[in-house]
Formats: sequence, C-alpha cells, structure tokens
Amino acid sequence: MPIKINNSRCIQCIGCASVCPTGALELQGLSMVFHPEKCISCGICARACPANAITFTPKNEKEKKKRTDSNEKK
Amino acid sequence: MKKSDHDVIIIGAGPAGSTMSRLLAQEGFNVMVFDKRKELGEPVRCGEGLGSREIIAQDIDLPKPCISTEIHGAKVVAPDGSEIIWKDKETSGWVLERKYFDKWLMEQAVKQGAKVKSYTRVIDLIKDAKGKISGVTVSRAGREPYEVSAPLVVSAEGLEAQIARKAGFPAVSTLYDVDTCYQYEMQEYDHENLIELYFGNEIAPRGYVWIFPKNDKKANVGIGIGAHLETGVKEGGIKGATPREFLDKFIENHPKLKDASTLEDFGGIISVGAPIDSFVIDNFLVVGTAARQVDPIHGGGIALAMEAAAMAAKAVIAANKDYSEAKLKPYEKVWRAGPGKKVARRLLLRKVMESATDDDFNHIFKTIKAEDLDHVMQGNFAPSIAKVVARRPQLIGILKALI
Repeated sequence: MPIKINNSRCIQCIGCASVCPTGALELQGLSMVFHPEKCISCGICARACPANAITFTPKNEKEKKKRTDSNEKK
Repeated sequence: MKKSDHDVIIIGAGPAGSTMSRLLAQEGFNVMVFDKRKELGEPVRCGEGLGSREIIAQDIDLPKPCISTEIHGAKVVAPDGSEIIWKDKETSGWVLERKYFDKWLMEQAVKQGAKVKSYTRVIDLIKDAKGKISGVTVSRAGREPYEVSAPLVVSAEGLEAQIARKAGFPAVSTLYDVDTCYQYEMQEYDHENLIELYFGNEIAPRGYVWIFPKNDKKANVGIGIGAHLETGVKEGGIKGATPREFLDKFIENHPKLKDASTLEDFGGIISVGAPIDSFVIDNFLVVGTAARQVDPIHGGGIALAMEAAAMAAKAVIAANKDYSEAKLKPYEKVWRAGPGKKVARRLLLRKVMESATDDDFNHIFKTIKAEDLDHVMQGNFAPSIAKVVARRPQLIGILKALI
C-alpha cells in the first residue's frame, strides 16, 4: 500500500482528506480510513499532514524494493 | 410524483450549515442537517478567533460558554521583533470555544424547527430519472445506507467537500493553496487580550505564528505554513512541510511560553486559496469553506461562512421552490459583489506577503503605522504602499500587484 496511517500520531484533523484529489481518505467515527483502490500514489496527503502521521512510499521506490527483494531471493 | 422527505438537505452542521438551517427553518422550511461527527463541535480544528461584527450583524447573542475571552486588538510582530499594536472595531472580537459554539449554533436552528442527525455521513447524491439531484444516501454510525430525498441539497461540508466534488464542483485544493497547521492550547500565558501574529520566513514560511488569548491565562498557540513547502523530512523519507517543528522552535524561543503547559494538540489544513468558480447548479449549492469562502490570509472561515449562509438562505427563500441554477444564482452574485471582493483583495495581499523577505517585512513594519495597517487589512493599499516604496523602491515589484 502506498500509504500507511499511524493512528497513534493521527489527530483526526481530516487534513489529508481535504487535499486528497481522489477522496481516498475519509474520517469514519474517530479514525481515518484509507481506500487503496482510489489512491493514485501522489503523496500529497503525507506532505500536508501536520502531525506527520502518514508514511508514504513512492511507487517507484516500492517497485525497486520489490525487485531487489526478489533478486535476493534468487 | 412522490413527495420529498424534506424541503432542503444540508450536509454539515458547522457555522455555515447551522446558520442556513436556522434561517430556512424560521421561514417554515422542512430542513434536515446531516453531520458525520459523533458530537457536533468536535474535533476542534480551528484557531477559534472571530470578529464580533459579523455575529452582531446576524442578531445573535452568544451565550457565555461559547466565548473564551474578548479580544481588544491585535499585535503584529516582525521578524526582527519590532511590533505594531492596533485596537479598533475591526480588530475587536472574541476567541471562541468552538466545541460549544458549533453545537449552540445548531441548537438555535433546532429551536426554529430544523432537524439534525449527528454521526451520519452523506455517502452519495441521488438523481431522479431526468438526472436531477433529488436527495442523498446516508449512513448512520457506519450502518446500512439509506436514501433521503429533497429538491435542494446544500454542501456545507467544509474543506473536504466530498459531495460537492461528486456534484461536479472542483472543490479540491492544491498543496500551494493550503496551509498546514499545528496548534497547542497552552497555559499559563499572561496575555493582554490581543491577538498576536508573528511573521518571518524563519518563524513560519509562507504563514505566521498566532497566539489567540483564552480565559484563565490560556492561549491557542498555533502555526500555519505553506503545505507545498519542503521544510523537513517526513515519515517514509519524503520531503514536506513540518509545521510542528517550527511551532516547537518558536515556543522554545519565546520567554513567556517556553515553560508553559500544553492542554491540547490540534492540527489541520486551512484553505488560503481562491473561492471555487461557481457555487450553484440545479438543485445544489455550496456554501462556506466547501466553496473556499475563506480569508486567504489567515484561513478563517466562520464569519464568511455565516455571512454566505445568510445570503444563500435568502436566495433559497426567494426561489419559491424552483431550485434551478438561475433561481439560486442571486446568492452567488450577492456574495461575489460583497465579501467576494474583499476575499479577492486579501488573496493579492497574501501573494505579496509570500514574496516578501524577512528584511522586507522588517522595513514594512518600521515604515507603516497602525492606522495604515488598518487600511491594508481592508484592502485599501495605496496610501501604505506609497509610504513603503518611497523609502525602498526595490519593493515596488512585489507591491505593484496590489495597485
């Protein structure tokens, strides 16, 4: 998943949902819920998050890592 | 044809939604307000400042618990520490207790006959056979969604504006047009009932630090910085804006705050961009922060939202059950001719401030006086610009945007 929400850091300000261009984040009850199927991996949420509660892994790096991992397995 | 469940559905019970529902209910409208929050007013994500003028204009007497303290003026501090204090009608107001204020405002609407459902999320819009918006789907406390119908749906959703987006409004802000903010409620801070604003690129790049006094020697101490800035490294290693780091540094260097306690952490994103291009379509209108009706300097939205809500309510009443775009348009026209003009001037001012260096700030603060600032805040820039430029011609480039 391109982003991970650290719930112990999240202050439920809904800032990420306000800047997310695709509506992939929303507040449900007292925590933020992430809809990976809507996410376009832009990282805007993580850059804007005032509480630094979102870990964003850029797509290319993730793929790079996957590739290295599979190489290592070989 | 099936009769609708309500005359109007309003999404969001913030200042815009509750004001509009109150004004419509007063006129006999059957109004239903949905709010996703478990308790209205919470979570607070706001500096809580409010100029008193706007409330007086609506004949509302705020009860005591809604008001934390009175404000008698403002103190603006330049990067080099020089300050201007000014006190007048424009700068007087209140610091609110938002958790009570929002709820109280909605209570007034309910007294007039409006209905509200908390913890109820609007998931989607419903359209009739002809493609006209005819209601919404909602889910209460995460349970099975159900449909509710009305010939008019109002988005007073705040910055997220998910349903406004579904209706086709481009209500999504870019990183450049938002500030990312962090705030502590602190105690003890010996204040003088002044709003304090601290400027400087080292203090708060593309933004400022605010101290809003509260009762019992408390204060909201917060910061907003441009969310597009890369001031630090964030989780996962990407670069991004780090407001809390700047705020902590400011507090550490502030002799009266460095030993104060923190009672609460808040944070959030505020819009400092332009209003959206259109506020109305057939059977749907957008009001308040959802429409980016916010002050582009400080991101404040309460007063503008309440004012816009009153304008929207007036247009809805005058529309006499015909909620076509043409009949709702007067709301937008009145808004753009009034508050919209002030917002546009303040947007220019923000852009000027953005391009100013600390040295420019220091110079401007030394040159202009409190009464000039008063004009500037009202969007009347010419006299102050003349003064500033007379002594520092190189500033004309950034200031000419205002003339």
